[in-house]
Amino acid sequence: MSIETPMRDLGKGKKANAGDRIFNRTITGAAFTSLIILAGITVFLGAKAGPVLQEQGLSFLTETMWDPLGVPPEFGIAGMLYGSLLLAVIALVISVPVSLFLAVFMVFMAPPKVSKILTNLVDLMAAIPSVIIGLWAFYVLVPPAQEWQQLLNQYLGWIPLFQNESGNFTGTPFIGGVVLAIMMVPIVTSITAEVLKRTPPELVNAAESLGCSMFTMLRYVALPFGRGGIVGGVMLGLGRALGETIAVFFVLKLVFDINFYKIIESGGGSIATLIVSKFGETNGEYEVNVLLASGFFLFLMTLVVNAIANLIVARTDRLKS
Amino acid sequence: MTILMSESPPVLEKDLEPLRPWSKRPASFWLAAFLGSVVPLAILGALYLTTDLAVALLLIAFYLPMQLIGAGLAGYFAKGKHGIADSAIIVFAIGATALSAIILGSMLLTIIVRGIAAFRPSFIIQNSTYISPSTPLEYGGIGHAILGTFLIVGIATIISVPFGIATAVYVTEVRGRAVPYVRFFVQAMSGVPSVVAGLFVLTVFILTGVLNTSAMAAAIAYAILMLPTIARTAEEVLRLVPEELRTGALALGSTRARVVLNVVVPAARTGIITAILLGIARVVGETAPLLLTALKNDQTVLNPFTDPISALPTFIFDNVAQPYPDAVTRAWGAALALLIIVGVLFTITRFISARKPRR
Amino acid sequence: MEETVVAMEEMGVDVVAAERESQTIEMSAKGVSVWFGKRKILENVNMDFPKKTVTALIGPSGCGKSTFIRTLNRLHELIPGAALAGEILYEGQDIYRQDVDPVHIRLAIGMVFQKPNPFPSMTIRGNVLSGLKLSGMKRPDHDALVEQTLTSAGLWKEVKDRLNAPAGDLSGGQQQRLVIARALAVNPHVLLMDEPCSALDPASTLRIEETIRELSKDITIIIVTHNMQQAVRVSDYTAFFLAEENQPGYVVEQGLTTEIFGNPRDQRTLDYVNGRFG
Repeated sequence: MSIETPMRDLGKGKKANAGDRIFNRTITGAAFTSLIILAGITVFLGAKAGPVLQEQGLSFLTETMWDPLGVPPEFGIAGMLYGSLLLAVIALVISVPVSLFLAVFMVFMAPPKVSKILTNLVDLMAAIPSVIIGLWAFYVLVPPAQEWQQLLNQYLGWIPLFQNESGNFTGTPFIGGVVLAIMMVPIVTSITAEVLKRTPPELVNAAESLGCSMFTMLRYVALPFGRGGIVGGVMLGLGRALGETIAVFFVLKLVFDINFYKIIESGGGSIATLIVSKFGETNGEYEVNVLLASGFFLFLMTLVVNAIANLIVARTDRLKS
Repeated sequence: MTILMSESPPVLEKDLEPLRPWSKRPASFWLAAFLGSVVPLAILGALYLTTDLAVALLLIAFYLPMQLIGAGLAGYFAKGKHGIADSAIIVFAIGATALSAIILGSMLLTIIVRGIAAFRPSFIIQNSTYISPSTPLEYGGIGHAILGTFLIVGIATIISVPFGIATAVYVTEVRGRAVPYVRFFVQAMSGVPSVVAGLFVLTVFILTGVLNTSAMAAAIAYAILMLPTIARTAEEVLRLVPEELRTGALALGSTRARVVLNVVVPAARTGIITAILLGIARVVGETAPLLLTALKNDQTVLNPFTDPISALPTFIFDNVAQPYPDAVTRAWGAALALLIIVGVLFTITRFISARKPRR
Repeated sequence: MEETVVAMEEMGVDVVAAERESQTIEMSAKGVSVWFGKRKILENVNMDFPKKTVTALIGPSGCGKSTFIRTLNRLHELIPGAALAGEILYEGQDIYRQDVDPVHIRLAIGMVFQKPNPFPSMTIRGNVLSGLKLSGMKRPDHDALVEQTLTSAGLWKEVKDRLNAPAGDLSGGQQQRLVIARALAVNPHVLLMDEPCSALDPASTLRIEETIRELSKDITIIIVTHNMQQAVRVSDYTAFFLAEENQPGYVVEQGLTTEIFGNPRDQRTLDYVNGRFG
């Protein structure tokens, strides 16, 4: 039709004035605060963790001891690392079904008004500080929970999981896990409800026109659609559970030996709780550094869990759009 | 003919009632539903009265299976075979809801009932100088801890709000190349455990001697925890600002900076306030960072740089496991005060976000 | 002015070089092609906009009229992937030159959009003056300016008693006139209007059309419209755009509005203005 005039690159031609340039740079700089802080945590805690690892060797991660006054002082946090994971798994097993059913009730069963009230209550539950949950758990939850554990031991004691030789049912990983589960339920529920709400109505309609029941609709439409988001939400809750300190501090008896599976036996571990409970009674700078090193590994652990969670959420978001 | 027809509407013997035939259920359904819900409850009650089995055992081993069978039968009568699976879902869903409601209700109730025992004017106003765990409740209070919480949260807000909003503005307004990375880092930062934030401030500021254990140090740790909440919420509300407003402002000859400062941010004002309040609610009860960076202090501290300082969470922490009932009552009282603060923040955010933005 | 028109008609669209230098031409597009990413939207548009006239851009949806009007004040470049060839001349200068600040261009060439977009956080008065605030422009006597621009936009009588009410309280038609007043307050030489009446009721549409006729005594107006009658009522010149399926849009015919509607040269123009397609 005509001779093509060359295409002009508007991106480079865009000439920002001086004010905008300063504005853009300031904002861009500030936007990298998160990166700077994350890098700062890695570098500073890593710098403290390095020498500790060097002196203690790999046994810092594989052994179970806390001997600050020994010559040389020896430390091993395997019990704490394992304990954090065990608590998180117990919390997961309890909170995931509860959250799923609660979310299903909110999204697919309750009348709109009830659903709205429940949404608010779940958000309120998420807003309650962990120190308050710990206080409540210490005085209100622990006494009946001891009774539950006795019952578990009495009727299901033949399962290794529910063994208890000491007869002491206080400060068990089970109670710690229950408290963490209470903290995870609102997080997982609100994310799950959010995901389920986004089930495309045309899919639900299609399923209903095919004569599906609630069960088949959940099984074949809503859950497959929301699976990624729900798993992501559970992982985010898991990250929170791993890092939770205070609520567990009140109900868990810290022991340095690894409690592998006896979840209703007194004594367990948790890195976050270890840091807080040992910090006030450290013997010298070296022990503080050991705590900082423990914090470093806790940080890495939560970072990995959260990164996986976010990847899952991001991937499913991309698949949907 | 047609005119006649249109002029005379059909004559009815009586007015029509609006009907909802689809909501009618057969009588057998109601019978089944009655039997399915009342019979298990009745058996539970009878067992509870006649045996001395523990309540938890009764609920799990007797009531739940009976309820499932009862509901399953009701479902089967009402809807046929697939009604069984549905009724199981309904039982579990209602069970999960009831369980969560009981837990939340128990928490709120205990804190209010036990906390009120401590509440009196002196408890709110006074500090805890010369107060030991065994001192009667008439003396001393949490005034210093309330002030401490306000001081620390206030400074943390001043630090984190500019950075949080700038991060959101970068993502929604500047839209630079690094947007995916910035969002990823904010996400990652929201997963930093509070105890790690405390350790970070301890290493960088306190062990190096830059800051004392003080409100300032604690505020930095709080700010680290607030930043991702503010950034993510603010990003969501800025995204809701219609694109036409930005184009409209640019078409008026506005610079990018003025579009953001004079149009976009004011349009999202209430949302940004919500973001800040959510950030505050996120940290106001955090304890672990305070234990590492602010320690405790029974006296009122107003200088954020010089002295250790108590806040409500640390006050609760210190008094929980004391063997003296008055100390424990103080802990409940402080918990009630903290809960009130959280409740007020929560209510304000709900109130703000319930109002529809005017278009 | 009449001479220009005659010249344009006689020589056709491509031979307007002599007039481009003339003082009577406010803006012109020279060989403008437009892309979004790899997709070409517009092909080789050449057009002149004489001073203090109204030019209507008509054509079926998707023919690139709105894209074209957005290239005229550099709003086009805000969309990621946007690209452009050719030149847009304003007062003889290419507005896409590297050293031109788009902010200055947008100040001189105002725009009114399809959907009324007053700033919800500001009052009526604040909206009128928002251009000054946003661009940092100084103009004396704000009260007189508010009255003058609102009067020009035909809104003054309706709002003079509630200048400090939120802009969101106004009806759609009033909001659109408020947005016109806002655009006028920065004293533009050209006003671009992208289907300004498509979201409005007939009564409001008539008010806006009166406003356009009034304004054209002082400034140059370029308006995109889907409404044939509106083009006839308000414009001096008309350009007819068309795009075949998956092809870039182009200008089929342009010239005096009376000619385009009364005696079009192209069969497609005849069909379109008589409502036979599009």
